[in-house]
This record gives sequence, C-alpha cells and structure tokens, in this order.
Amino acid sequence: MDYLLHIAILASIWSILALSLNLVVGEMGLVSLAHAAFFGIGAYTTALITQAGMNFFLALFIGMGVAALCALLIGAVLSRFKGDIYVLGSLGFTVIVYSLFLNAQDITHGPLGIAGIMRPTLFGFSFSSSTAYLILSVVFLAVTYACCVFVTNSAFGRIVHAIREDETIATLLGYRTVQYKLLMFIIAASFAALAGSLYASYISFIDPSSFTLNVSIFILATIILGGLANSRGAILGAVILIALPEALRFVGFPTDIAAQMRLLTYGAILIALMLYRPQGLLGTFRL
Amino acid sequence: MEVAVQILFNTFVAGAIYALVAIGFNLIYSTARFFDVGYAGIAIGAAYVVLYTYKTLQFPLVISIACGVIAAGGLGWVIEKTIYKPLRVRKASNTVLLVASIGVLTVLQSILALLFTSQFQTLSRDIGSLHVLEFGGGAITETQVIIIVTAIILMCAVMYVLRYSLFGKAIRAIADDEEVARIVGIPSERLIGFVFFLGSAIGGVAGIASGFDSGVHPTSGLTLVLEGIIAAIIGGIGNVGRGVLGALLLAAIENVGVWLVSGEWRGAIAFAVLILVLLFRPRGIFST
Repeated sequence: MDYLLHIAILASIWSILALSLNLVVGEMGLVSLAHAAFFGIGAYTTALITQAGMNFFLALFIGMGVAALCALLIGAVLSRFKGDIYVLGSLGFTVIVYSLFLNAQDITHGPLGIAGIMRPTLFGFSFSSSTAYLILSVVFLAVTYACCVFVTNSAFGRIVHAIREDETIATLLGYRTVQYKLLMFIIAASFAALAGSLYASYISFIDPSSFTLNVSIFILATIILGGLANSRGAILGAVILIALPEALRFVGFPTDIAAQMRLLTYGAILIALMLYRPQGLLGTFRL
Repeated sequence: MEVAVQILFNTFVAGAIYALVAIGFNLIYSTARFFDVGYAGIAIGAAYVVLYTYKTLQFPLVISIACGVIAAGGLGWVIEKTIYKPLRVRKASNTVLLVASIGVLTVLQSILALLFTSQFQTLSRDIGSLHVLEFGGGAITETQVIIIVTAIILMCAVMYVLRYSLFGKAIRAIADDEEVARIVGIPSERLIGFVFFLGSAIGGVAGIASGFDSGVHPTSGLTLVLEGIIAAIIGGIGNVGRGVLGALLLAAIENVGVWLVSGEWRGAIAFAVLILVLLFRPRGIFST
C-alpha cells in the first residue's frame, strides 16, 4: 500500500512538471530542455531555506520566485529564437545549472547533495505520513491544473496560441511576441520549481544527478506521449511513464540495468511517436 | 610562458577534436537541415567498437579503428534510412526530426551502457607507455600529435572534395535547394544517405580520438558533440571551413577559461560563449 502511495505521489509531482512544460512546448510550440534546471532550482532553494529553519510553504514560494527570476534572465535571450537554436540554448541552460549544482560546493555540497530535508508542517500539523503527503501533492497538482487551464483559456493564452500558429501575423497585429513568450516561459518555470520543492521535501535528499538533461528529456517524452497542448494529456503521460517502468522492477533487473532499460523505453517511445503519432495520445497540436 | 605554450597545445588538441565533430555535423546539417543529436550516440558508439575490438578481441590498432569508423558510418546510414528519411518524406518540421534524434541518442546511450556498463573506460592498452613529447616547456602526448595530424588531413580532404569533385558540387546543390537539385537530376535521397554515412564516420573518428585522449563513457558522446555543435554555430552553421575556425576559437576560450577558473566549468564556459554569440552574432562570428 505504501508503495502504491509512493508511486501516486511521484506521479502527481511529475504531472505538475508535465503540465508546466506543456505551457512551453504545447502552447508555444517551443521545445524546451530547460525544465530540469527549474525543477532543480526549486528543489535546491527549498532545501536550503527549510534547512535554515524557514517554513516549507514560504520556502516554496521563494523557490518559485528564484526560478521565475532565472527564467526571466534566460528567457529574455531564448524568446528571440525558435526551432533548433531554442532547443540548444535551453539545453545549455540545463548544463550550466547542473554544473552549478555540482561545483558550487560551498552552497550545494556538490555531488554529496543535501540530506535530511524536512517534511512540511502547517499550523503544527506535519505532512510526514505518505497519505498526508499524497493529499498535499494532489492539492498542488489541482492548483497547477487549474492555473494552466486558466492561463491557456485566458485572453493572454489565446494570443500565445496565435503566436504559435503564425508569429509574423501576431507581430503585424501589434503584439510584442517576445514579451508574451517570455511571460509564458516564466509561468512554466515557476510551476516546475513548485514540483521541485515538493520533490525535495518528499524524497528528503537531493543531489545534482536528479536534475540532469535526462530529466528534461523524460519530461519532454511525457508530454509528447500524453499529447501536446492538452492538460489532461500531460497528466496521462506522466502517470503512464511513472507507472509503466515500475513493472520492470518486478521482473527483477538490478537497479543499474533497470535504469538503463527505462531510458531505452523513453527513447524508443520518442522515436515511435515522432514516426507514427506526432500529436501523442490526446494531443491537439503537432510540432 | 610555459603556461602559454601548454594552453596552446591543449587548444590545438581540443580544437582538432571539436573541428572533426563540427565537420561531420555541418555536413549532415547542410543537407538534412536539422540538429542531429543522435550523432553523439554514433560518435561514442565508434569509440566503444574500438574498445571491444582492440581491447577484448585484441585486433591490431589500425583494423579496430577501421571497424569503429565503418560501424559509425553504417549506423548513421541505417538510422537515416529507417527514421529520418520517412519523417522527411512526410515533410515533418525540423523540430520533429530533432526530437526523434533525441530519442535515437537516448536509445543508443542506454544500449551502450547495457553492453559496456556505465563505468568510465580507457581505450589505450597500456597507459604506462605513453610517449610524452616536450617543446618549449609544454607537454603533448604522441596520441595527441596523431589526433591533430589526422584532423588536419581529414579537414583538407573534406574541403577538397566539397569544392572540386562532382559529388561535392551535388552536395552543395542539395544544401542550397533540395527540390531544385532533384529537378535537375541529382539523386538527392541517395546522396543524403551517403552524407549521413560520411558525416557519421567523421564523427566516429572524433569519438575514437577523444576516447584515446580522455576515455569513454556512454554520455561523453553528448558532451563532445555539444562542443562540436557550439563550434559550428560560433563559426557559422552549415559551412565546413568556418566550423573549423569556430572549433579552434571555442577550444582557445575554453582552455584559457579552464586555466583561470577550473576544469569542471568547461561545459558552462562553452554554453556561456554560445549564448553570447547567439545574442550578438546569431549567424556566427565568421559569417559575412
């Protein structure tokens, strides 16, 4: 039972990541590999601040703020590009942030990571049991879902859609497309940081290896499988890709081999989707 | 002074390897028009073929390197025919091709890790007998000299072929406008297949070279190819000669940067350079 709860918690954290990346890849049509970096920024900020004694929920908002600030800086550069260059630039951001986590040893403890991160408490109640934590993460997932649906259906979201379909016309209509793309990117980054905060306090240990390029590729595979520009699709993809490889655990492979088999599956899924169903399971938009 | 000589040597070694990666990447990019990230898996796959044939099967060095290079070329050709070509026929956008190639990379990396473990390994049979040459206070190994010479020969050969042979002219025509090239009777699909073979084989040489210089790891191919792609973009993408200049410039900046800060920041320095170039000269430093 605890094991099922564990998978459910992971699935909801990953759903938050998928929902937020969908804002960039699905709604704007820009393939970003920067998401692992924002996930990591949220996780590290929350871990460091809660260890200094601050309440988790405050730390979570600070983590989101830090991620939003980073997204503003890198997004100001990235939003001018699209296609290949965008992918490469966002990938570069993940590499830089990863090497920061690894090498800024005074703050992040480098490869040793940060251990003993506290579970959140609110008005004296501690979310230390799995059930309580599941409820907490599902609540955050619901909030994220609502925000994403609200953003995409708002006037702002419709303009972003227009930019995705034809940026030249959107510019001709007088919209400053770079600003719209930048704002959407910042929103997506802050929700990725929210997922990072939840992840850090749930696992209670983080190290740089949880925020590599592979994580970005995994989230990308998730939303492409579920379907781009579809919030329900993003959650579906996350649930499938978290739950499915758990079956590999019961086959009895050693951990290292199981991890590689999982990567192999993600890669094969990406290729097969591009070849046979580029819009994913529930998608409304194809790259 | 000695530091300057050493930095110069390191720049030439790194620059030679990046230049090889950039040449293969530029060849593929100029005809297929997408960022082939799967190229990284092929490049490091070649190094693993050498690892297997040279160290496990005890083949002579030249034969195992030939095996590695041919395997890389062949793999590049097969992947082009089975995955990229069907996508191109369907007029898929280059983002779709890029995502597919990310999938190729992930699959290749995990297969390599399953076959050869994800441990760091060296290609040389005995590290103790490395010949180190010294000039003017800087040290360079014999392997590194061979890498530099190989890179220069390959570079000249590719540029000569592209400029003067009929094949090279056809490739440049496809790079210019694939549809028109087809209309005037250039068998573009067959030639693109051949370019993938050639580009992947050159990438394989780069992978093997870096394997002999600093060892192999399933993910080290991506690091290598990212440097090569950055070099290609810095120089001006799609042009073989400018890619080589970009590679030397990137290697110089990195080596000076590493000397000033520390070795772990190499990747971060490279991407910082990329972002600066994208901001101020998005078409490359050497583009006209």
